[in-house]
Amino acid sequence: MANLKDIRKRIGTIESIKQVTRAMKLVAAAKLRRAQSNMEQARPYAGRIHGVLNHLLPDIDRTTHDLLSMRPAKQKAFIILTSDRGLCGSFNSNILRQAESIIDTAGKENSKLICIGRKGYEYFGKRGYDVVEHYTDFWNELNFSHATKMARAITDRYLSGEFDDVRVIFNEFKNVAQQEIVEYHYLPLVLEDDAEEVNTDYLFEPSKDEVVKSLVPRHLNIQMWRFLLESYASEQAARMTSMEAATNNAGDLIDRLRLEYNKARQAAITTEILEVVSGAEALVE
Amino acid sequence: MAGQFHLEIITPTKVYDEGEVDYLRAPGVDGAFGVLAGHTESIMALAIGEIKVVKGSVEKTYASTKGFAEITHNGVQLLVESAEPHDDIDLTRAQEAFNRAKEHLNRKQDEMEDELRALRAQERSLNRLKVAAKK
Repeated sequence: MANLKDIRKRIGTIESIKQVTRAMKLVAAAKLRRAQSNMEQARPYAGRIHGVLNHLLPDIDRTTHDLLSMRPAKQKAFIILTSDRGLCGSFNSNILRQAESIIDTAGKENSKLICIGRKGYEYFGKRGYDVVEHYTDFWNELNFSHATKMARAITDRYLSGEFDDVRVIFNEFKNVAQQEIVEYHYLPLVLEDDAEEVNTDYLFEPSKDEVVKSLVPRHLNIQMWRFLLESYASEQAARMTSMEAATNNAGDLIDRLRLEYNKARQAAITTEILEVVSGAEALVE
Repeated sequence: MAGQFHLEIITPTKVYDEGEVDYLRAPGVDGAFGVLAGHTESIMALAIGEIKVVKGSVEKTYASTKGFAEITHNGVQLLVESAEPHDDIDLTRAQEAFNRAKEHLNRKQDEMEDELRALRAQERSLNRLKVAAKK
């Protein structure tokens, strides 16, 4: 039978772990709410830009725009979004595993990596991948200027010919219990056809070409912002769920230990009574 | 009321709904232009500059960065990457950014790319300072 004092000590330890995990869950929930409201706010802007671009692109000669024209994808680049910190369940391991298989299929030698988030940077850095750029330790102060900075750096590299095709691999936020890993074609720019309807007889000032030229970088910025927010929201949701599970497990463990503790205590009392009674009986005789 | 139109300034982080306004002046890439109710439906690219909104006797200004204006019969939407109302401009921050960019430009040995970035930063911060300095 386990020692009473040991069990008491274990209960104490687990109790404090439970407090920590519960606090982490609450913090993650608050951060998730903030990320979700940011996502909400970005939607009208992203929707309009997408709509107007979608309307314009069929009329534009793609080959005259560097960011639109397709070129043979000899060098590929992958942007991988992970978190800086752990304790968020399988959030990072899932995306890292999937990203690695995507990159290996594309060919490790002609793939360059841009890692956003410490976990991805450490993972691919250690495994001999060509990580050309990384961004870490910014998630807590995440704001729109991070997105523009990253989008510009990536666009500059693309324009300089360092790579010909850019994909983004990130966790898309479905709901609190669900994230989905998505691969998105970032550059050259391709649009899906689900955009809002746009009026057809607009006057374009200064010209269609100029409007597109100014719109494409805006679109890339807002897309990057969306990736960051989606990934951040997913991370917080994953952390919330896993910390919730940890808190529940700690509760179960405490219940079990308490039962064991009571059993041990009763056994100890029974033994004591037996000793007293048999001692008394021995005296009578 | 006749002669008014609906104006929204939409940024990635915030939507400023101005409601019904009389007049708008926005910084087009080829110079500032004015919009009154009944304007031709158009899409105009915007440069870094100042947005002016007139509503009755009230005048409002914003410091804005690049984007575009979508003008329809239903109203005007300005989609810009950032817009700060005149009173919300952080003067010290803009001044610091301006000084930083200027210092950067003064050190000649920087690479082209950095120089472009610094130029853009200088343009943005100078615009904020200009808009804030009025009134």
